[in-house]
Amino acid sequence: MKKFWALLLTAAMTVSMLTGCGGSSQPAQADTAGNEAGSDSTGQTDTGDNAAQDIAADLDMSKTVKIGILVSDATTAEALAFRTYYTEYIQKQYNVEMIYSDELTDAAGETSAIDTFITNNCKAIISFSSFDRAAQIEQCEGAGVYYAVATGTLTDEEYETYKGYEHYVGAIGPSLDVEFETGYNMAKHYLDQGTTNFAIFGGAIPYYTEMHIYRAAGMITAMVEAGGDGASYQGAAVKDAIIGQIFADGEVKTGAIGNVNILGYVGGYDMDDAWFGKCAQMAQTTDLEVILAVGNGSDFFGTAIAGTDVKIASVDAYASSYGEAMEAGMLDYLAGKFSASIGPIFIATYRAALGAPIRTADGNALALSQGYWIAENVEDFGAYYAVDSSVESPAYTKDLLDTLLTADYATFENFVGKYSFAEIQNM
Amino acid sequence: MNKSKLKNYMMNLTPLFGLAALFAAFLILGTIRDINISYGLKSIINQSVVVAVVATGAVFIYTLGSFDISLGASAAVSALIGGMVYNRTESVFVMAAVCVGIAVLIGLFNSVLASVFNLPVFVTTIAMLSVLNALVLVLIKVNGTGSEIAIPAAAVKAINNTPFKIAVLLLFLLLSIFIFSFTKIGRMQKFQGSNPVCAKLSGVSEKKMAIIAFAMSGIGVGLGAFLSIIYAPTLTKNTASSVGMDVIIAIVFGGMPVSGGARSKIYAAVIGAFSMTLLSQIMVMFNLNSGIGQMVKAAIFLLVVFLATSDQRGKMLPR
Repeated sequence: MKKFWALLLTAAMTVSMLTGCGGSSQPAQADTAGNEAGSDSTGQTDTGDNAAQDIAADLDMSKTVKIGILVSDATTAEALAFRTYYTEYIQKQYNVEMIYSDELTDAAGETSAIDTFITNNCKAIISFSSFDRAAQIEQCEGAGVYYAVATGTLTDEEYETYKGYEHYVGAIGPSLDVEFETGYNMAKHYLDQGTTNFAIFGGAIPYYTEMHIYRAAGMITAMVEAGGDGASYQGAAVKDAIIGQIFADGEVKTGAIGNVNILGYVGGYDMDDAWFGKCAQMAQTTDLEVILAVGNGSDFFGTAIAGTDVKIASVDAYASSYGEAMEAGMLDYLAGKFSASIGPIFIATYRAALGAPIRTADGNALALSQGYWIAENVEDFGAYYAVDSSVESPAYTKDLLDTLLTADYATFENFVGKYSFAEIQNM
Repeated sequence: MNKSKLKNYMMNLTPLFGLAALFAAFLILGTIRDINISYGLKSIINQSVVVAVVATGAVFIYTLGSFDISLGASAAVSALIGGMVYNRTESVFVMAAVCVGIAVLIGLFNSVLASVFNLPVFVTTIAMLSVLNALVLVLIKVNGTGSEIAIPAAAVKAINNTPFKIAVLLLFLLLSIFIFSFTKIGRMQKFQGSNPVCAKLSGVSEKKMAIIAFAMSGIGVGLGAFLSIIYAPTLTKNTASSVGMDVIIAIVFGGMPVSGGARSKIYAAVIGAFSMTLLSQIMVMFNLNSGIGQMVKAAIFLLVVFLATSDQRGKMLPR
């Protein structure tokens, strides 16, 4: 009899847990429904913008659109900022339901997550995961589900292959040229101040991640230009040759570039004791002035440089931890993505799901580049962070995004191209 | 059938009832929430089949009361080498054979360490986990790209379908059922797992049983690696990284006693693998974030173990 009751209790608990899960989703649905009802009135009363009313009339936004979000990172400051923008702002402003994947670790996980999204009637998928972009695009095209790349770009070869796919919406993010410029400008910022002794944190260069290789190549190119006559990096003196050299080596070599020195290098994200030891050792290199990081530098080197004059420059996102690092002297320069930068790709995806996709003049998928906000001091950071972290009035508000709902390609491209803080504030 | 036997019979069938209940919940909730059920069923098979195949082979090890934590890493190494071989031979058949061959070799190496040198299986598989994970990184680096080994999706497109995957699972399951339930080997395995001392005194070779168990597990791992390549032909250092843990959960979820022995069930792996995937799909229907989903799964996992062992606690000889 005891076993019967144990079984009954288990069944009851299981049902109650599942029911509880269901309960947790109700507020979201209610919110969505509320937004649905409110979006019309909000669009009319809050903005007073006749264009917004016209847009609402043109597109049928009465049905909740489910959008699947593929993520390979669910914990970093950048990932959390993006997620907050979608779940705390976009989802409350538009009649959409965002379904997030688990933190994906491989291509099989991406395939499974897309299968799950399709099963749950997602009309579109926005991807922050890039283990196998080609497979993702093919899978979505085969299933008739719209697919977009957020904060990244396809290679030229991939774009040529997939640009004509009906369900490939496109990609909006820093192009490789922008990544190169970001690294170049970061190094030049210090070279112009007379700095000559650098160390480089190479992030995912050992894994041949292109964006990190291009950022490092930009840094080294600036050093070659500042290094004086005949300066070169491993014999390479121009952009393409430097990129090729890093690809060939799978790392950045230390040594002199004319008058400029690369005193130390650490790559990878091994995160074990030996790796952290190498990081600390590099940060304490004699005569080191600046650590240039292709990714997050302050988290790995900040403690090691405490009490020294060494500066750290990073590429990442606007998160409170970086503000604290700047105030503590552990971060000096930040090229950061702003969380609302994923607003335009949402609109492009939403439009496609509503039956009004935006394509280039040739009828192809989007391939638009965006850059970073550059904070060179605490004041810059404070101003950017205040806007970036706001869930009431982020950089790209609903009013701004609504203008894209019926925009033509040229207008859309122009909007995305004006990504600097000042340009967005003046929109 | 007396009352006690009926209860035992029902308790044994609990995992099957659980699977049926989850399936019914998926259908009912899916209909209410208007999901694409037919696509979902295909998706569930795709997501379950690798774990089901690997776990079916692993049951042979668990039956001995042993535990292999390196199965996921073994599958990754087998898949990577299989992928590299495909890129040289362009033969899917050779790739499949290499996947199975490498996995069996790794299994046999484990069994040699465990049985010939009398090392605890758990310890040897922890060591192998480190070695195989390092090997994964070496293989990817040696292959040149630094981050992945990929074969053309077109190469496996023809067999990337549900009937083929089901056929592989069924064939291996039938082979395993035959060996486990209709041969002396299966009985000796259960005997060895139930009481190693009695088994030894009765003439059962511990080493032979370990070698057979690891070889069968190796076949499952190899087939799982092959199916992984079919499903996602881009292999990275994280390929099959979750398989090891999923196999453990699936086996226990399916009603397999954690201590192995006479009550071991070969079908537990398949029931567990499909139950887990169904549960995940139901979680997604409610848009639960992964943290809450994992907690709910963990709670259900504990309940299943509690139920599965509820008729054993307090008895003199739990095995």
